[in-house]
Amino acid sequence: MERDTELALVERLRRGDPNAFDDVYAAFNTRLFTFLVRLSRRRDVAEDLLEETWLRLVKHAQRLGADTRLGPWLFTVARNLHVSYLRSRMLEDSAASSLIALWPFSLERSSPFEAAAASELERRIERALAAMPAASREVLLLVAVAGMDHSDAADVCGITPEALRQRLHRARETLSKVLERDAEGGVPAPGGMRSCPIR
Amino acid sequence: MSDPLTRLLAELPVAEPDPARAERTRMGCRALLAQRAARASASRGPSSGRRTVQVWQLLIAVLGVAYLTEVIVQALSVYGTP
Repeated sequence: MERDTELALVERLRRGDPNAFDDVYAAFNTRLFTFLVRLSRRRDVAEDLLEETWLRLVKHAQRLGADTRLGPWLFTVARNLHVSYLRSRMLEDSAASSLIALWPFSLERSSPFEAAAASELERRIERALAAMPAASREVLLLVAVAGMDHSDAADVCGITPEALRQRLHRARETLSKVLERDAEGGVPAPGGMRSCPIR
Repeated sequence: MSDPLTRLLAELPVAEPDPARAERTRMGCRALLAQRAARASASRGPSSGRRTVQVWQLLIAVLGVAYLTEVIVQALSVYGTP
């Protein structure tokens, strides 16, 4: 989105123009959902968090700064909502841990993407992504999947660009290793998929 | 952005949310945004309390003028024009 267009949209949002909301929604809804569904690994959770993200935008529309950058703002809200969701889940899980030990089925589940992935390679990448720690997964999703630059992604995660660079480097190494390990037992990894230099 | 891993990640398929729920969310947010903007613009205008005071002041002024006019008319009719 061009910066001038974005600034005009922000101004219209601040005035409460519903058509401006439609434009922002059209530009970011799919990207936000893709980010959230891979981060949370659950469609239903991602849809709840997505709806809450849009509600937060509406509630804060009049207080947006004139120079707000909508992409980082929306991804920050979505990411923070996911962190809150994880915290609430941790509380629930700790309370229910004694019951889970009695549960007769495995609670491990494949991500929605993994189930729907068209190719074996995609399926392996989705599986590897889903198995990564959330902090590593989110930097990969922001930079490599959503195409955000390092400085914006660092803002979204609330860390310095240098910390993001390091986290991204580690995340890519982990992903490469998981894929290589996975490839040893099945389809070969794509050419040169070693520890890749950060961009 | 040209290494194979980055390319693969960038080419992963996007996910689409449930269309019915997405539409409900969009419409709800539109309505809420318009409602909040209307409320904000109403609160920026003169408050209803201040408007009430202004109406009362105007009414008292009109009644006062009418009373004085009537006093003058009565006085002239009793004492006659000089």
